Amino acid sequence: MRRRAFLKLTGTAGIVAAHRAPAFAQGTRLHIVRWVDFIPACDVELKKQAGEASKALGADVQFEFINANDLQPRITAAIQSQSGADIIHMLHNWPHLYENGLVDVSDLAEWQAKEQGGFYPQSEAYTKVNGRFMALPHSIVPGLVAYRKSWFDEIGVTTFPKTYDDLRTVGAKLKKKGHPYGQTLGHTFGDAPAWAYPLLWNFGGAETDRSGKTAIESKGSAEAVKFMTAFWKDACDEGGLAWDDTNNNRAFLAGEICATLNGASIYIAAKRGQDKIKDERGEPLVRDIQHARLPAGPAGSWSYHTAFAHGVMKYSKNPKLAKDFLKWFHGTGPFGRWFEVAEGFSVGATKQWERHALWNSIDPPMKGFRTAPDNSRTMGFAGPPSAKATEVYSKYVIVDMLAKGVQGASPEEAVRWAAGELRKIYGA
Amino acid sequence: MIIERRWKKWVYFYIPMTVFVIGTLFPFYWMFITAIRPDAELYRSWRAANNAPFWTFHPTLEHVRDLLEKTSFPYWIWNTFFIAVVSTMVSLFCGLLAGYALARLKFPMAGTLGTSIFVTYLVPPTLLFIPLADIIRSFQLGDTPWALILTYPTFLIPFCTWLLLGYFKTIAKELEECARIDGATRFGAMIRIIFPIAVPGILSAGIFAFTLSWNEFIYALVFLSSPEKKTVPVGVVSELIRGDIYFWGQLMAGALLGSVPVALVYSFFVEYSVTGLTGSVKG
Repeated sequence: MRRRAFLKLTGTAGIVAAHRAPAFAQGTRLHIVRWVDFIPACDVELKKQAGEASKALGADVQFEFINANDLQPRITAAIQSQSGADIIHMLHNWPHLYENGLVDVSDLAEWQAKEQGGFYPQSEAYTKVNGRFMALPHSIVPGLVAYRKSWFDEIGVTTFPKTYDDLRTVGAKLKKKGHPYGQTLGHTFGDAPAWAYPLLWNFGGAETDRSGKTAIESKGSAEAVKFMTAFWKDACDEGGLAWDDTNNNRAFLAGEICATLNGASIYIAAKRGQDKIKDERGEPLVRDIQHARLPAGPAGSWSYHTAFAHGVMKYSKNPKLAKDFLKWFHGTGPFGRWFEVAEGFSVGATKQWERHALWNSIDPPMKGFRTAPDNSRTMGFAGPPSAKATEVYSKYVIVDMLAKGVQGASPEEAVRWAAGELRKIYGA
Repeated sequence: MIIERRWKKWVYFYIPMTVFVIGTLFPFYWMFITAIRPDAELYRSWRAANNAPFWTFHPTLEHVRDLLEKTSFPYWIWNTFFIAVVSTMVSLFCGLLAGYALARLKFPMAGTLGTSIFVTYLVPPTLLFIPLADIIRSFQLGDTPWALILTYPTFLIPFCTWLLLGYFKTIAKELEECARIDGATRFGAMIRIIFPIAVPGILSAGIFAFTLSWNEFIYALVFLSSPEKKTVPVGVVSELIRGDIYFWGQLMAGALLGSVPVALVYSFFVEYSVTGLTGSVKG
């Protein structure tokens, strides 16, 4: 036996005998910043996993949880000062924004996709920048329409409307009975764009063409504004212009609206507080909640679901440890345990998780979340989800285009305004 | 003797004052009522029968208990208090010396320097936090209270200096000159004559500096990472806002308990504070 082969063999044997990976320098700390999960038990599970990972990797793994809205200031400060957490949670297409501050994790992405059945398109598009994965896709929080089954039944509608026109008709009837549809058109990061973008796409509109040039001035865009204006007047709670992401949750749980586009948080909050949150008959509200996909428009039935990933920061002094941790953390064991705790609120970034046993035992209204991510487009469509697409998203141009229509501008005026704003960003 | 009609007193004093007092105190009342309202009432529709949005029939301390037992709120209160007190003392000390120098000493560019100090106060923290993060990293102060004790004076010292500069200018120079004729040094006159007269101004600057430190958010968010090292504004938001669900009862309990120390400070020194702001010196 050669010397190298001997060393390799005995080294591996030692590791196996010790039941742990080789330790990094003593006291090495790995700091991971994530959003505060909607489900507290998920964060508890991660803290537990931090202990396991510390043992497995021979380093001190620590999670820090902060509000989702505060992630970007932290990332900006970290990159500018070249210090901070080793791994940071990335939402949407942030890897495109922070490309220069992130480590290439293509090797890990290749491994994860191969092991877990391939990524959903939006997870791949949001993390793959110029052919390289700059963050490792982790999960997706899908958005479906939560609605009050009994109120729809009362007007003879036993399944959720399949088209936007049907939704308008049904919504108008429910509004007359004092149960309007709840939708925000405010400047709020989740629910407003998740409604506005699909509406634009489903009526045939698009922000840009495939080459990334502004393409909003189209018949489809004008039709989307026209629908929104009529839908707002006929079916919606008209106070929604000022709502943020929390208002529709509160309004739904308070029995003020018949339906709203949201993650599973409404259902899970109602389930968790079923002894306190009741419907008008005094029954737990959770029993009257059902979920459905967004209806279809003339051009399809696309949705926007929020993708999450983990980025290894380039300034990290422990990039190898960070990548080793991600390989452990995104592996089927630890991820599977977290996925089970999430109860369908978060789903995997890869298709394997559609086949997980959780879906057999989960409450029937939650089953729709299993395959929800399969119809998601990305911001910037039909162009790439570039940093400019994020600027459009952050400035709420698409949301405001619809809001302008609702506030009295003609569809053509609203679209012309949006085109002007997009040209300022895209330059053409 | 001027006899005022009663209706005039009502129209010009009592009614506007009542509106003002209600407007000012209502947010605190709302925090209080939300903090003691059970979840079942928090999620009840405003349109529901027998709904009582402005009071509760079933008060509970459940949210306060959860806040104190399930979060690190006691740590956050202590951190916030420690950081606010130390940074206020540091800023007040620097502001006193700088304010006195700018008000009393004659040196080239004194006026321009005074204005420049004030202008630095106007630079928003959202711009400053990036270069400051670099400094904190160089000093290896990240995730320690000293990161904030070092950065808060960047906006507190200009604030204190400007406030005290104005106050010192209202104190007659003759008082100091008399002391100096009697043999006091400039420093002695400053300590024994000017500072005691300026106590309302100093307390006023201190109270406002304490409040600004207590409520600061962006630096505390960026420079502190461990849950038990956070301050009240950051800790409450991090732990009690989860995605699109707000834990309103605990949030309001946190806001209410978090505002108690500031309210106490104000109530003890309210008279000085008013005098300090109006800049009036009684001869």
